[in-house]
Amino acid sequence: MITTLIVVAVVVAILVGLGALLIKTMWRVAEPNEALVISGAGAVGGELSGQGDAETPTYKIAVGKGALVIPGLQTVRKLSLNARKADLAVQTVTSQGVPVSVRGVVVYKVGNTPREIANAASRFLGEDVQTMETTVHEVFSGHLRSILGGLTMEEIIRDRARLASETRGSSAEEMETLGLKIDSLQIQEVDDPSGYISNLAAPHQAAVERDARIAAAEANRAATEKEQAAAAAAAKAVADSEIAQSQVKAQADTARSQAEQAGPLAQAQAQKQVVVEQTEVAKLEAARREMELQTETVKPAEADRDARIAAAEAKARETELEAAATAKKVEIEAGANAKRVEIEAAAQARATEQTGLAKAAATRATGEAEAAATAAKLTAEAEGIEKRAAALEKNNEAVIAQTLAEQAPDLVRAAAESFRGIDNLTVLNGAEGMSGMAGEVMKLGLGVMPLVQQVLRNGGGNNGEKPPDD
Amino acid sequence: MIDHVESEIGRVTGRVAPGVVGEVRIPYKGGTETFHAYAWDAGETIEVGTEIVVIERVGPRTVKVAVLREEEQS
Repeated sequence: MITTLIVVAVVVAILVGLGALLIKTMWRVAEPNEALVISGAGAVGGELSGQGDAETPTYKIAVGKGALVIPGLQTVRKLSLNARKADLAVQTVTSQGVPVSVRGVVVYKVGNTPREIANAASRFLGEDVQTMETTVHEVFSGHLRSILGGLTMEEIIRDRARLASETRGSSAEEMETLGLKIDSLQIQEVDDPSGYISNLAAPHQAAVERDARIAAAEANRAATEKEQAAAAAAAKAVADSEIAQSQVKAQADTARSQAEQAGPLAQAQAQKQVVVEQTEVAKLEAARREMELQTETVKPAEADRDARIAAAEAKARETELEAAATAKKVEIEAGANAKRVEIEAAAQARATEQTGLAKAAATRATGEAEAAATAAKLTAEAEGIEKRAAALEKNNEAVIAQTLAEQAPDLVRAAAESFRGIDNLTVLNGAEGMSGMAGEVMKLGLGVMPLVQQVLRNGGGNNGEKPPDD
Repeated sequence: MIDHVESEIGRVTGRVAPGVVGEVRIPYKGGTETFHAYAWDAGETIEVGTEIVVIERVGPRTVKVAVLREEEQS
């Protein structure tokens, strides 16, 4: 019984060990950088299976995990997904026809999508790594040649994006077919036998060289300017120093000369003062003598002159006064004479006037008497005329006037006769007196006019006598 | 692991234009991978740096992409 249990336990242990060993040998795990390609009976793994067509056997791909492989029925191969590189060296021409020799490197790996792994597995699995590298090298040398032929030299050197684009454009399809992915294409070295690249650089080099020479020249000029300025400043400092020294020396000489001159100068000044004093004394002497002269000669002469002037003036005054007295006397005498003549004339005039007036009164009386006589005569005539007119029915006023007018000069003349008796008529009132006298004559003449008219109207025709004719 | 890249959003790393093979970088299996890319609208040009969305996968490592618009992003 106990031995049976032991046997069973041992058998179980052996079976467990065998089972574990079996699992260990059947369960295969893929590393991160590799893919397991499992082929054989029933090796179809869902979405991870290869996309083979009907004629292509399908297989199972495991990336980054384990898979059960049935020994004897299935086989498993590993496909490395590591990056690989292939060195390239081609000689070609650029799109400008410039010959170049290019050395580059392409980094590639098996793509990690299942389809790329399947493509790669169907082409490279079982081959060694060297085969894959050789294939890629050959393929890519041709591609690089065509890529470079489509680019210019400048693009090859500078334009990485363009290079990558050209690489994809020429090799993408082929690489996918091979299940490979290009990680990087690098141009490592461009050999330029024609010197194109160095010529590209020539303008820049020339510009740089020009700038360098300009900079050097300017620096040199600036330095020279500074040096010359410094030299000029130094020379000026020296000159200033000499000038200052000369000035000081001149001042010293001046001072020394002044000191040397001080003695003689003082002496000369003292002498000058002496001369000044002597001159002053001479002036005073001259003044004194002038004063003496004034006192001795001029003053007596002046006194004499003044006395004579006074005498002349007194005499002139005297004469003047005498003349004045004489003139006054003459004037008074003349005045007295004039007065006397005037009084005599006045008296004579008054006498004459009285005489005239008396004569005039006499004449007037005579005239008036004659006038009255005439008037009476005329009245008588007038009454005669009036009576005649009445007798002759109607006597016209015009006839009266005409008669009167005819008689008027006679009347006036008759009146003027009154003045004929006056021998010497003295007119006292001038022009007024003259007109007064004429008026008097007219009054005498005309004063009888109304009387005449009255006579003519009333008794003109009574006596029928005409006025007397002259 | 799902081997789908459709509707993934990525960025252009090589100019996509007619006559050239572009390149885009999109998330793939926890990391990012570069894929060869063509424009979904033939004739369209997509400059480097533009955000794109993958429309269709046409090869093991080739996709067709379109520019990601604002409305597709939200």
